[in-house]
Amino acid sequence: MTSLWLAWRTTKRYRVRAMLAIVGVAVIGALLFDMLLLSRGLLDSFADLLRSAGYDVRVVAGEGLPIVRLPIAGAARLAADLRALPEIRDVVLIRIERATAQAASHTARTITIVGTTQTGGGPYTIVKGDDLPTSASSLDRCPVLVSRRLAASLDVGPGSSLQVSVRPEGIRSALPSIACRVAGVVNFYFAAAGEDSVATTMDALQDALGVPADAELILVASRPEAGPAAAVRAIERLRPDLRAYSNEAVLAQFNQNGFAYFRQISLVLSSLTMAFAFLLVATLLTVSVNQRLGEIAALRALGISRTRIASLLLWESALLVGAGAVLALPLGGLLALGLDRLLRQMPGLPDRLHFFVFQWRAVIMHAMLFAVTAAAAAGYPVWLATRLPIAATLRREVVG
Amino acid sequence: MIGSRVRATVVAVALGAALASASDSRPGPHLPSVLLSRQLAARAHVSVGDSVTIAIDPAGTRAVTVRVAGIYEPTPDPLRFTAQRLEAHMHLPDLIALVADPADPGSREAVDAINVKLTDPNDAGRFASDLRMRSPAVTVTPTNRTRDDDPFAVLDRFHVAISIVTVVGATAFLLALMVIRAEERRETIAVMRLIGISRRSLIAAVAVEGLLIAVLGAMLGVVIAFAAEGLVNRFFQARYDTALVFLRVTPSIAARSIAIALPLGLAAGVGASWPLLRGDILSLFRR
Repeated sequence: MTSLWLAWRTTKRYRVRAMLAIVGVAVIGALLFDMLLLSRGLLDSFADLLRSAGYDVRVVAGEGLPIVRLPIAGAARLAADLRALPEIRDVVLIRIERATAQAASHTARTITIVGTTQTGGGPYTIVKGDDLPTSASSLDRCPVLVSRRLAASLDVGPGSSLQVSVRPEGIRSALPSIACRVAGVVNFYFAAAGEDSVATTMDALQDALGVPADAELILVASRPEAGPAAAVRAIERLRPDLRAYSNEAVLAQFNQNGFAYFRQISLVLSSLTMAFAFLLVATLLTVSVNQRLGEIAALRALGISRTRIASLLLWESALLVGAGAVLALPLGGLLALGLDRLLRQMPGLPDRLHFFVFQWRAVIMHAMLFAVTAAAAAGYPVWLATRLPIAATLRREVVG
Repeated sequence: MIGSRVRATVVAVALGAALASASDSRPGPHLPSVLLSRQLAARAHVSVGDSVTIAIDPAGTRAVTVRVAGIYEPTPDPLRFTAQRLEAHMHLPDLIALVADPADPGSREAVDAINVKLTDPNDAGRFASDLRMRSPAVTVTPTNRTRDDDPFAVLDRFHVAISIVTVVGATAFLLALMVIRAEERRETIAVMRLIGISRRSLIAAVAVEGLLIAVLGAMLGVVIAFAAEGLVNRFFQARYDTALVFLRVTPSIAARSIAIALPLGLAAGVGASWPLLRGDILSLFRR
């Protein structure tokens, strides 16, 4: 009989405690798995989101505070200058305003309106209708793309009319509303859950504002042969008063600042769950060995070697931890869905951003950590069983 | 409607050691005063009374000499706890004199932000609407948060969810230990039942035992948490060079932990011994 088979028989014999140990390890393992997913999930998700726009450098006004976007002086002229740089392939101007949108017989809704010079695919997926037309080919004064949520609440679709007024709801303003036509219904990548968003051309937004307005953000795509770092240097040479960030720089800053809390909590909870799983299995195995001292002494007296006894206990530990760790993966997946939904209730978070992102690296790390735990948890019981004085233990069992 | 007090706080952020350096010159009688954050003062090796030069860029453009009037601990901000707080506070006229563009007279009138304290904080929404109407180009943001737009309320719920998962795992652990303990005492319980001790008394005994273990365990947990509080805070405060308190074990949290542990310990104790208490006596002797 192999050590594995013997360990399996022992586990079956004490099935209630084994089941409870497996449940405990599975629950704790699920938490560990989730913390491993959390350790890089938000960063990976944010990186995907940034790259989805198709641009690798962001330019903002130098004086801009993190929460307030300031207009970039002479943005249109700057865009022309940037396009002339050999390091740069494409440039898009963006301005974001609060506004209200109203469709026939529906109450006006406060929206976020994004004016962009980008046409032919942006950070959105078209669900119905068409993309924004290029200004040269379009006769529309104000073509708009509306978010699915807004389209449903105002009951509009491609071809519908929409009155847009750049003013927050409840504020009196002299700015007239302008008539827009819905070109398409889209899912915006950067829109927060619960946010009603509209994208239009920069010309249309300036019409709605009633004044020529500068962009607040410039997205730049570098040429592949130059790369984003060269593009950033070129932009800073051209306009030292502005700040240009490559996607990597934005990610590094996010990793350093915004993501720090989740990195720390992931590290702390991973360590705690590992310690907890170790304690759980080590205690159960130690108590179990203490109960079976006579049985182990008898096996030794029959000629079973110390190595075999150690191997038996290691397999017992591996069975408990292994079964728990395997169960922990689907359980952790379900738990991650719930925790992700909970964390995504944070205000202003883009709908596509996730905190828990599946990575094979997390599965491998999970397996390795549990292998170490199983081996460490078996350490003391193995030492106890292999150092057992055979004759004294058997005598104590008989007399007791 | 409009608040009784308008306060403008101007913060020159991240001046850096290169921009705030101790000067050899003795402080003059009319030097402008500046307050430096503890972190900036430590990095620039300056102390109260020193005169330092401050400029608007690393090249030393428009450098002025100022006197360090004090060193302050920046108000801890949980949203920026990883940021290096290299900050200085100056009087607004001094800062404007430093940064205003001489070619642009309007720059002497410009500030980045105005903090307003309202007489009645409940007027915040109406005040914001009124101000936006009068000055459409101004962004007005109330500083008080509702439960819905507070990221820390979401983090609170996240912590509660994690603690529930931990409690479920700990319960399985406790139950497994209680099952082992009950198994160990199978014959003792059989003998006690054989000599006439009622099931009710035995249930009461295991319930009290479960309760005691739970209370002692929970109290030990609270003691460990109290002991860890200082260590965790000191570690992260040193790591991020901040005065922010990361962990606080309050009496209500301690009481809540014990209140959760009590019913769980009771249930685990009774649940694990239940098969032995309600079974046939002979079966306890494996007959």
